[in-house]
Amino acid sequence: MNTNSNAYTVIYTTIVVVLVAAILAFVSQKLGPMQAANEKAETVSQILTAAGFGEKEHWAEIGNKATLDFYKENIESSILVDIDAQQVGNLDGSAAQVYSTSQLKAQNYNIKDGSSLQLPVYQFKNKVMVFPVYGAGLWGPVWGYIAVADDFKTIVGAYFDHEGETPGLGGKIKDDPSFRAQFAGKVIDLSDEKPFSIVKGGAPEGKANAVDAVTGATMTSKGLDAAINTWVAAYGKTLLSGEAVNAFVEAVNECTDTTAVKEVLEETLKTVEE
Amino acid sequence: MGNLKETFVTPLLKGNPITVLVLGICSSLAVTVELKGALVMALSVTIVTGLSSLVCSLLRNTIPNRVRIIIQLVVVSLMVILVDQFLKAFEATYAIDKSLSVYIGLIITNCIVMGRIEAFALGNKPFPSLVDGIASGMGYGAILIIVAFFRELLGSGTLFGLQVIPQALYDAGYVNNGLVILPPFALILLGCIIWVHRSIDKELQEK
Repeated sequence: MNTNSNAYTVIYTTIVVVLVAAILAFVSQKLGPMQAANEKAETVSQILTAAGFGEKEHWAEIGNKATLDFYKENIESSILVDIDAQQVGNLDGSAAQVYSTSQLKAQNYNIKDGSSLQLPVYQFKNKVMVFPVYGAGLWGPVWGYIAVADDFKTIVGAYFDHEGETPGLGGKIKDDPSFRAQFAGKVIDLSDEKPFSIVKGGAPEGKANAVDAVTGATMTSKGLDAAINTWVAAYGKTLLSGEAVNAFVEAVNECTDTTAVKEVLEETLKTVEE
Repeated sequence: MGNLKETFVTPLLKGNPITVLVLGICSSLAVTVELKGALVMALSVTIVTGLSSLVCSLLRNTIPNRVRIIIQLVVVSLMVILVDQFLKAFEATYAIDKSLSVYIGLIITNCIVMGRIEAFALGNKPFPSLVDGIASGMGYGAILIIVAFFRELLGSGTLFGLQVIPQALYDAGYVNNGLVILPPFALILLGCIIWVHRSIDKELQEK
């Protein structure tokens, strides 16, 4: 048989390619659910790490199932909010439903072009609230989770991940625990022009809403800085309304009679309207 | 049988893909920061070279000569994607696959795979081709593991993620070497390995 004729070549390549495609489609179909489960467990473990429930290695040690169980036990509510802090959806906490990285990417586009948002807010039973951030690093996307205390300002922890930043340089946003550790105790200051800064050359002494950038990774640090500020701005009203509710509850608690409560209520409504 | 033994041993020593043929350097710089990653990469490459050589050898009499590189590439990509999919699917390997990121996918472009198919599998029977493929993968993997051993030990003070350099030494002022983590050091280390290999095996030295 002439293996060099045109007809033979075309038929041969067609058969090989179709066969290979069929094998790949079959395998992808079979393994897809397992891969999705791994990705979900990874996301959940990142959220839990940010919220301060344990170090990242801990979740890898106890395995996917235990990680998800822990999340289900400790989640209070997981909702979707828009830019005006209105609840526009719900994530099933009892099934540990979380936003995947690709969903964050989609929301990131929506933030940029001003379309309607559905941003996830993970509220844990210990009053810690976690929200994601997403943006562009040097070689690919960077994302992460920031956990704030019940004053909606003070950061209790953060976790960051990336697709392809340079190991030892930009990769430190994920691999260097001391970079992440800086975030705990800092605040998100929405009254500042920039609610949070990652400063090259070191954060100024006493500045509560800034951390040091990663040495040798200026672009990654800048990207992460932009990601945090873009997403914090999108969550701005959610954080502010949380603060307003806190202030209201505090004021009501101080009241001694019903007229005082009424006054507080009226005042709060007035500020909300403003 | 003696021939088969030679087929197996040559890629490990005298024809080692990295130290003698100097192929697959790029990925060996990238994935040798940690032993765990290097081990998974070594196994993945071994599986890919073995199976690709086997399949291409089985097809060797039917492949149209004009498109043989493309057919080989299709076979190699199939194996690589399969390996990647399986690594992603299992809980134990998911994190490692994540840390190796693009380098698993880039096995497709690893010169060792195509090189062995072109140089060996297309002219030999399936079983010797399988042996040659596996041995080439192992020859590559062995160097990867040696490099990763030094890089993880000096760069992070750990082996397979376990701390081996005692805390007392850190307290006494010892610090992990940051240069070791970066790719240039892998190149220096590879150079040293090639140097040692050549001084032991006199046949490799140019006259």
